[in-house]
Amino acid sequence: MNREDWADFINNLINNSTYEVIGVKAKGKRFIFAPLESADELRLDYDTTILPPKKYFLPQYENLLSFDLSKQSVNIEMKEEKRIIIGVHPYDIIALQQMDKVYFDTYIDRFYKIRRENTIIIGSNILNVSERSFATSMKAHTVTSGYDLMVTDIGSSIIIEIGTERGKKLMERYATNITDATEAEIKKIEEIVESIESKDRKLKVDKENIPNLLKRNYEHPIWRELSEKCLQCSSCTIVCPTCYCFDIRDEVSLDLQGKRIRTWDGCLLPDFTRIASGEVFRKDKTERFRHRFYRKGLYIPERYNFIACIGCGRCSIACIPDIAGPFNVINKIAEDSEETRGEIIFEIPVTRGGEEETAYIPRNGIIRRIEKLTEFEKLFEIELEDSIDFNYQPGQFVEVSILGVGEAPISISSPPIKKGSFELVVRRVGNVTNKLHTLREGDKIGIRGPFGRGFDVKKFEGKNLIFVAGGIGIIPMRSLISFILDDSNRDRYGIVTILYGSKTPRDILFMDEIKEWEKKEDVIVKLTVDTCPEGICWDGCIGLVTSLFPEVKWQDIENTVAIVIGPPVMYKFVIKCLDTIGVKEENIYVSLERRMKCGIGKCGHCQINGIYVCKEGPVFNYTEIKDLPEAFE
Amino acid sequence: MSKNISINIEHVTRVEGHGNIILNVRKGNIEKIEWQVSEAPRFFEVMLKGRNYWEVQPITSRICGICSIGHSLASLKAVEDAFGIKISEQTNALRHLAINAENMQSHILHIGYLTAPDLFGVGSVIPLAESKHRDTLLKIVKLHRLANEMSDLICGRTIHPLTLIIGGFSKIPSRKQLLELKKRLIKDRETLREVASAIRKVSDKLPDFKRETEYIALSTDVEYALYDGDITSTDTGRFKDHRRYRDIIEEYIVPQSTAKYAKHNRESYMVGALARFNINSRQLSSNALDIADLFELKPICYNPFMNTIAQLVEVMHNIDDSIIWIDKLVDDGLKEEKPVDFKVREGRGVGIVEVPRGLLIHDYTFDKKGRCIKANCIIPTNQNHANIQKDMEAFVPTILDKTKKEIELSLEMLVRAYDPCISCSTHYLNIDFKET
Amino acid sequence: MKPKVAFFDFASCEGCELQVADLEEELLDLIEIVEVVSFREIMKEHSNNYDIAIVEGSIIRPIDEKRLKKIRRIAKTLVAFGACATIGGVNKIRNPWQPEEVIKEVYGDIDFKDNEFFNVSKAKAVDEVVKVDYYIYGCPPPREEIKKVIIALVMGKKPDIPNYPVCVECKKNENICLFELGKFCLGPIARAGCNAICPTNGRACDGCRGILSEPDTKCVEDILKRYNLTYEEMKHRFTIFNYTLEEDR
Repeated sequence: MNREDWADFINNLINNSTYEVIGVKAKGKRFIFAPLESADELRLDYDTTILPPKKYFLPQYENLLSFDLSKQSVNIEMKEEKRIIIGVHPYDIIALQQMDKVYFDTYIDRFYKIRRENTIIIGSNILNVSERSFATSMKAHTVTSGYDLMVTDIGSSIIIEIGTERGKKLMERYATNITDATEAEIKKIEEIVESIESKDRKLKVDKENIPNLLKRNYEHPIWRELSEKCLQCSSCTIVCPTCYCFDIRDEVSLDLQGKRIRTWDGCLLPDFTRIASGEVFRKDKTERFRHRFYRKGLYIPERYNFIACIGCGRCSIACIPDIAGPFNVINKIAEDSEETRGEIIFEIPVTRGGEEETAYIPRNGIIRRIEKLTEFEKLFEIELEDSIDFNYQPGQFVEVSILGVGEAPISISSPPIKKGSFELVVRRVGNVTNKLHTLREGDKIGIRGPFGRGFDVKKFEGKNLIFVAGGIGIIPMRSLISFILDDSNRDRYGIVTILYGSKTPRDILFMDEIKEWEKKEDVIVKLTVDTCPEGICWDGCIGLVTSLFPEVKWQDIENTVAIVIGPPVMYKFVIKCLDTIGVKEENIYVSLERRMKCGIGKCGHCQINGIYVCKEGPVFNYTEIKDLPEAFE
Repeated sequence: MSKNISINIEHVTRVEGHGNIILNVRKGNIEKIEWQVSEAPRFFEVMLKGRNYWEVQPITSRICGICSIGHSLASLKAVEDAFGIKISEQTNALRHLAINAENMQSHILHIGYLTAPDLFGVGSVIPLAESKHRDTLLKIVKLHRLANEMSDLICGRTIHPLTLIIGGFSKIPSRKQLLELKKRLIKDRETLREVASAIRKVSDKLPDFKRETEYIALSTDVEYALYDGDITSTDTGRFKDHRRYRDIIEEYIVPQSTAKYAKHNRESYMVGALARFNINSRQLSSNALDIADLFELKPICYNPFMNTIAQLVEVMHNIDDSIIWIDKLVDDGLKEEKPVDFKVREGRGVGIVEVPRGLLIHDYTFDKKGRCIKANCIIPTNQNHANIQKDMEAFVPTILDKTKKEIELSLEMLVRAYDPCISCSTHYLNIDFKET
Repeated sequence: MKPKVAFFDFASCEGCELQVADLEEELLDLIEIVEVVSFREIMKEHSNNYDIAIVEGSIIRPIDEKRLKKIRRIAKTLVAFGACATIGGVNKIRNPWQPEEVIKEVYGDIDFKDNEFFNVSKAKAVDEVVKVDYYIYGCPPPREEIKKVIIALVMGKKPDIPNYPVCVECKKNENICLFELGKFCLGPIARAGCNAICPTNGRACDGCRGILSEPDTKCVEDILKRYNLTYEEMKHRFTIFNYTLEEDR
């Protein structure tokens, strides 16, 4: 196609098609993807854009649902925008294909999917190489699929390769004077690609070796050296075409109209992992700095089989201290190649199939009963409004949603034998739980889930069970204990020992039930408190939960399974005790708490190294995670 | 008449800043009339000491939230004057739009939110929202929004502007945005006319009070002066040398207070919309003059209460003038200009603009590294304090037959008519009229 | 029952309160959900019975401290409003000088000893005098954030104020990094929530919403070298809004 006809084609699309036409435009000395007003603005000779085109599929700010607080009504309509994006470089096309894997995995993200379906991609071969690019080394400088049309501006004319039927139809409808490309012209494309290969910066290792390299260098000094210069601004993740972490929050305007907003988040930010009670995981900036590289180069490859870096160089342009670029980091580690400095090995315990579509819409739940347990905890019995089955395992959690306030992950506390309703025991620590505590019986809340992996009760059959709970760890544990001690299940399990430590006697949860459990045959219950304030009657133990171990006469320990749930600091000590009495590692199960925001393994907040707590957890067999540096930090 | 009145209005409301009115009348004799300012002093002169030339505008902008565009422009003009920077045609045009936007915003706020409640007989815009005047209020809000969005577009935001920089603009609006703005300006002329006629219906509530005084404002041959011009007095005419503004404006200290007052040819003078109208009305747009006719406002008007009406007239002029500047910008074609190059040098610069409340002067001296070693700002409200006092002294005897409540309201209305910007005026001085 | 809200101002430009007046039509929505009982800048009505006090300005005199403490005693919730109130803002620029020097510099040798209006102390942020429950940052605070905090208080939730740097918002806005243009911007270490309004308008961030964490010398060594700045000069950049960081700590 000659240049005039190409311009006519673009202008035709802008003026006559039902699509919003996006293209690469100049912004100062840089380039951006933005709506085109005319073909003259399109700059196929760009090196790279400030932001990748991901903003059109996962926008910076996105409305997941709208609501009216005065009427308590919800509107989940999604505006379906039809777009054509012109000038997408091969590496960005590959990045989008990677993003597809994430957003279509297990739960298909409806918002992302609809945008993908409604967008036509007109790719462009790279004409000018960005000075920070190493796309060739990442095998992302060319691409053979993922576009509807692929254009190459060879100077004398524009060569268009048809990628899809949709692209072909677009040409037929809006373009004129198309002729077949000559061999010389096709040769020219090859020359252009070759010249890119020669100009691009080259990695010292093969792309395929990056995961192995990282595996061996978890303790490499480079992480500390570089991270000392890190300003923690997270620019590197924001400009990255393969970063997909997000946050969800509720916004309400003064006229009580509200929105649930999804926005980009970044794992370099100190608050990224902060949970409602204030706890922060991956506290040290070196750990966060390293995490980003490991996500891209090890965790995502292990899970999805691709390296989440396509060598565009945007992060290294955006990084003010210039430490974020993977190119230098990988090369530096590769130089020290043979030496192993800390090794990290992990396997993702469970990968679930299923292709359920999700739009993050909560189901309506009605609060049937509220019981105040302590000053800070209340029990809520929830009945779902729809008649769809709600099946869950002990140890799973739900996302509780209150319009205008937000969502919070809450573990289910009732045993799954109970039908028609379930119970949540909630400590008030954050916005959602504080609000929940002000609600009354009959009020409505939203429920998403159940999520995550719970306890596989079948595996425990025929075993003795030790339950070790610290603080509110008893809440999810109660679901499992009640299930096992239920008359219909009891005979399938052996001796049950329950060790439960609380801060003070006032904080002990489910005291009445505990007394009932105690009465049952072959059930041992030991309670302890950290301190007993004056004026409170307590004749039990005082001390940490670990101090209860010598109190029990352990028997048949080889055939014993231990379940441990408590605050992060507790695990190491309890596991040591279990080891001392002879419980095998593979018989220990734990449930971990992290910031589970989306519940479906996408938002990135709950990660422990490469594992999503919301998906592969919160229940883990100890052996699955014991070697993960971030599990029991 | 032999009544006793004691009025002590602490913190006059619906004005910018903290001011008090004291009136003591014993047996019909006025013993004391005082206009006090109790605002906390902020010492901007000290803040500027040793700061780099490029920090001066962001700091002085913070003298006042309501006229921060005016302060920024005066500040930039002073720095440009010191370094000999000549701005481009485009920058000149955009700065005119900026000053128009602020004038409109401030005037509409004053007319609609601060004065209208008195005219409509309520305490504030809040009851106004629930009254039969809600419709008028919504029109005022619409105009206010237009002015603010115009500031947002030209200056990056309304309060503490961002795009105004030494020698140019850090960001300019697009042609499309300017044309969009023009459309709205044309449309809202009608809204303004509707507001004017609603105010006309109650404008008889403005006291018919006159006191001859001097008026000072900028003026120039080319336009109704806001952004640029020569200091001009109704008594003595035009004065050319802007750096010698001290020859005109004599700051002085009155015996009973520590406040600096200002005078020129008489014991007090007035600046602001009415002063500009009195000096430059011939340069107003015909639409603006129509509004003046509606209120029978003619130069020279000696009624300070008519300042509010002069503001209304100016808003229409700002709309008409902005449309002309937009046309010029669009016709000439918008260019991505870099700010003018300049060399930092030792010396003094003075920047003078008309802000909503009147004449504003920034005066800086820089050392050879461009650090500010001396600064002086002359604020419109400071220049008006003496005139407010003199007006009160002349006004009170004419209203002594009224009830205490009516006198209070009348005095408050007098202060509000000046639209005083007290945080501005106390940028460094604090007027104390402590009762003994 | 609608919560009663009162606005108060101390040493400031009153731009924060103006931002509330500038809510335009939404000001009418505001008075549907709260009862504004005091707002001197635009209201004649006043009451000393309020639940939420929103306080603008720095505290610079003992008489102001007295007034603020009274407000604190009445208010169930006290919100510091704007840079002057939250971090001291420009008012703190003069803090390296002694108050007497400042007075002398500006007013000359006039004796103000017996005058409490002129009994000036060093400028303080509101939380240096009384306990502050919530902060609305910025100079001026963004209207969006004002609305966000007010609605959160009405709904009984903790306002969600960003604890991350301006870069996050700046990058989302797809601005060219000002460092790339050779300007020294505080964006990487300054609190966001302003939607990066300054860099978006081509102006370097001055950190009017506060500095999140002051980077140590080692951290910024290379950057300073590139811009030919000393660490002291960099810290001088903070001082428009964030004077005396060490003292505050």
